Amino acid sequence: MSEKLNSKELSKKITNDYLDEAFNAHEKGKLVGYTTAISPVELFVAHDVIPIYPENHAVANLTAKKGAELCSVTESMGYTSHLCAYARSDLGYRETGMTVTRGIPKPDIFMACNAQCFTLTKWFQVLARRGNLPIFIFDTPEFIMDKKAREEIIKYCVVQLKELIEWLEGITKKKFDYDRLREVMKYSAEASILYKKFLDMAQYKPSPISIFDCLIGMAITVYRRGTPEAIEYYKTLCEEIMENKVNKGIGVLQNEKYRLYWENLPVWFKFSDHAKLLGSYGGVILTSLYVHAWSFEFDLSKDPLVTLAENYVSRFSNSTIEDRANMALDLFKRYDMNGMIMFMNRSCKAVSFAVPSLKDILTKKTGIPALVFESDMGDQRFYSEAQIRTRIEAYFETLDRFQRKTA
Amino acid sequence: MWDNLSLKQVAKYAQDPYPSIRKWVKEKGIKAVGSTIADVPEEVIYAFGLLPVTILGTNKPLKKAPSRLPDNACSLARSNLELVMSYEGDLFDGFVLPQVCDTTQHLSDIWRIVLPDRYVESYLAPRQVTRPSARYWVREEIERLIASLSRWCGKSITDEDLKKSIRIHNENKALLKDIYKIKRKTPSAITNKELFSLFKLSMQLDKTEFNRSLEKIKKGLKPEKKDGYTDVILVGITCDPPEVYDLFDEINLNVVGDTLVTGTRYLQGVVDENGNPLEALTGRHFKRGFFSPIHDNVYKNFEEIKTLYQKTGAKAIIYVHIEFCESQEYDLPDLKKMIKQEGMPIHVMDTEYQTLSLSHLRTRLQAFFESLKGGSL
Ligand code: SF4
Ligand code: SF4
Repeated sequence: MSEKLNSKELSKKITNDYLDEAFNAHEKGKLVGYTTAISPVELFVAHDVIPIYPENHAVANLTAKKGAELCSVTESMGYTSHLCAYARSDLGYRETGMTVTRGIPKPDIFMACNAQCFTLTKWFQVLARRGNLPIFIFDTPEFIMDKKAREEIIKYCVVQLKELIEWLEGITKKKFDYDRLREVMKYSAEASILYKKFLDMAQYKPSPISIFDCLIGMAITVYRRGTPEAIEYYKTLCEEIMENKVNKGIGVLQNEKYRLYWENLPVWFKFSDHAKLLGSYGGVILTSLYVHAWSFEFDLSKDPLVTLAENYVSRFSNSTIEDRANMALDLFKRYDMNGMIMFMNRSCKAVSFAVPSLKDILTKKTGIPALVFESDMGDQRFYSEAQIRTRIEAYFETLDRFQRKTA
Repeated sequence: MWDNLSLKQVAKYAQDPYPSIRKWVKEKGIKAVGSTIADVPEEVIYAFGLLPVTILGTNKPLKKAPSRLPDNACSLARSNLELVMSYEGDLFDGFVLPQVCDTTQHLSDIWRIVLPDRYVESYLAPRQVTRPSARYWVREEIERLIASLSRWCGKSITDEDLKKSIRIHNENKALLKDIYKIKRKTPSAITNKELFSLFKLSMQLDKTEFNRSLEKIKKGLKPEKKDGYTDVILVGITCDPPEVYDLFDEINLNVVGDTLVTGTRYLQGVVDENGNPLEALTGRHFKRGFFSPIHDNVYKNFEEIKTLYQKTGAKAIIYVHIEFCESQEYDLPDLKKMIKQEGMPIHVMDTEYQTLSLSHLRTRLQAFFESLKGGSL
C-alpha cells in the first residue's frame, strides 16, 4: 500500500489529475466548462462537465509577476488598463500562449455567475464570441436585506438553476441526473465544513496559519468542490495543522502581537513579501472575507437547487455593505483580531468600491484603526513599493500607540 | 412652470434643471424620487403621485464622492453621488437605484449609508434577458417596487393610476419621436443640443406639464431644408456633458439615430396601453435596445448600429465612451472591429464629466471628419 500523502503532495496530485482529465476531456466524451470561482459548479460536476476557472490560471501568472507583461498585450488589442488584471492577463495569455503553468484547456461552454462580479460575465462574453460558444449567465441579484425580497431572489435563482440544467441537457443531449447531484452536494457540503474548519484554525493563539496558508489551501475547494478528493485533502490538511502546529503550540509567529484582518483579494505578486514585512512587526494576517467565500453551508435536507441558490447568492461579494460588515465583525470576534488592512484593489471594482464604506463601519464598531491602501492585485505597474512600505510602517506605529492607549 | 418652455429655455434648463425642480416640488408639495440609469420603471413612481427624476451627473467639482468611490469608478457614478452628497441632495425625498455593473453593484448601499434619512430602494433588474426567468424577475421587481413605494407613501395605487401614468409617459415619447423625425430630415429646425435637452428634461421634469411644452415646440419647428450637415449615429449609454452636443452643432453634425439610454433607448420604452399594466410594463423591458450590462450579445448592438446606419444613410458612427465604464470597455474592441469590417467609419469619443477637454475633443472630431471627407477611412 502506498504511503499516505501529505497535504502538499495531495494538493499537487489532485491538481495534476484534474488538469490531465481536463486536457483530455474530449477523448473521454466530456466537455470543458469555463466558470467563475463562485458559481454553482456542482451542476457541472454532476453532469460530467469539467470546470475550468480562468481566474485560477490568472492567479498563477500574476503571482509569478507576469501581470504587467500579459496585461500590456491585452491593452495593445484595445482593452483599457483599468479592467480586472485576471481578465487582462487571461486575454494576453490567449494571444501569446505565455504562462508559467501548463496552461488551461480551451472552453466548450461558459457559465458566469455574477454573485462575484460583473466583470467575469463580460470577460467570458469576449471569450465566447471568439469561439461562438454558448454562455449561460446565472444572475444573482444583490442579496438585499429585505426578507421578502430574499425569498423572491432565491426563487428566481432556483428557476435559473433549472434553466441551467435544461441548457446543459440541450448541449450534451444527456439527461441530468439528480441523484448524482445529491451525491456531489454531499461531497461539497462535507468539504466546505472541513474547509471552514481549516480557516478557523486561525482562532488559535498563536495562530498556526496565516492568510497566506489560506490562499494556498483554498485552491482545492475552488476547483475541486463536489469531489471526494476535496474532502480527503481538507481532512489531511486539518490533521496536519492540529498535529504539527496547534498541539505543539507553534504559530506562524511565536511572538504574535497583531492579529490582522485583510480586506479584498491579495496583492498576488507581493503576498510573501507582505508576510515577511508584517511579520517583522509582529503582525500576522489571519483571514479575510475573500477566503471565507467558499465556506458554504449546504443544507442537505433541502432541495439541492434551493440550498445551492441560498448559498451562492449570499456570498460576501453579493451581500449589502452592512451585511458584509457584520460578516467581517463576526470574524473579528471569533479570531480576536486587533488590526485591519483594507486593500483597494484597482482590478476588482466589485469588491473594492464597497471598501471605504465598509472601513467606516468596521472602525466605528471595533474601535480599531485601519490601514487603507490602493494598488492592484496583479499589475505591478500600479504598485508603489516605497509608498506602501511607508504606509505599513506608519500603520504599525499607529497600532502600537493604539495598543498602549487601550492597555 | 414646465408647460410653456421655449426651445431656447430648454437647453438652459437641461444644463442645470435642479433649481427649477426644487422650486416645483416645493410649490406643488410633491416628493421627488431620484433614479440613476437605466430601466427603473418611472411610470410606477409617477403613479404614486411622486416626481421621478433621472439623475444624470454633474460637472461641478467632486468633493465628497471620491472618499466613497475611487477615481477608477466611472464619472457618471461618481458625479451622481457627488450631486446628492454636495449639491442637490436636499430636493430628493427618496431614491430608486438600479444595479447593473460592478460600479453600481453596491451603489445603493453607499447611497443608503451616506443618506440615512432618505428612502433608498434597489431596483434589481435582471442581467440576462433571453430566458423566461428574466421576464418572471422583472415582474417580481416591479411588484416589489410597488409594494415598497406603497409602504413608504402610505398609500396604494390602482391599475387605473398605473394606466394613466403609462399614457402620459407614452405621450411624452411619441412627441419626442415626432420631433426627432423632423430633426432627422431638417437638421436646421432644431440643434442636437436642443433635441437631446428635450430627452434629458423628459427624464427629469413632470411629464404632464412638459408634454405641453413639447407640443408647442413641435408645432413651432421650422423645417427648412439646408445643406452642409453630416449625418451621424451616436452609440453609447449617455453623451455628456451637454457641451459635447455644442461641438456637434458647431461642426454641423446631424444626429439622425442613436442607441443612447438618454435617447432612442428611452423612446423604445413605450408601454402597451391595452391589457394588464403590470404585464405591459414587464413586456416593455424586453423591447428596449442593447444596453451592455444586461445584454450578453454584442452582435445585437452591432446589428442595431448597422440597421440604423443603413436605414438613415448616415456617414459615420460616433461611439461615446464613458471613461472607466468597464461594461463598454469589454465590448468596444470587438464592436469596433465588426463596425470597421462592415465599412462603417467609427470615431470613439472618450468622455468624462469633470475634466473633459472640449478643445481636445473638438480637434479629434474635426480630424476624423476631415479624413472622412478625404476618403481615407
Ligand atoms: S478580481 Fe474581482 S473583478 Fe476580477 S474576476 Fe475576481 S471578482 Fe471579478
Ligand atoms: S454601466 Fe458604465 S456608465 Fe453605467 S454605471 Fe456602470 S460603469 Fe458607469
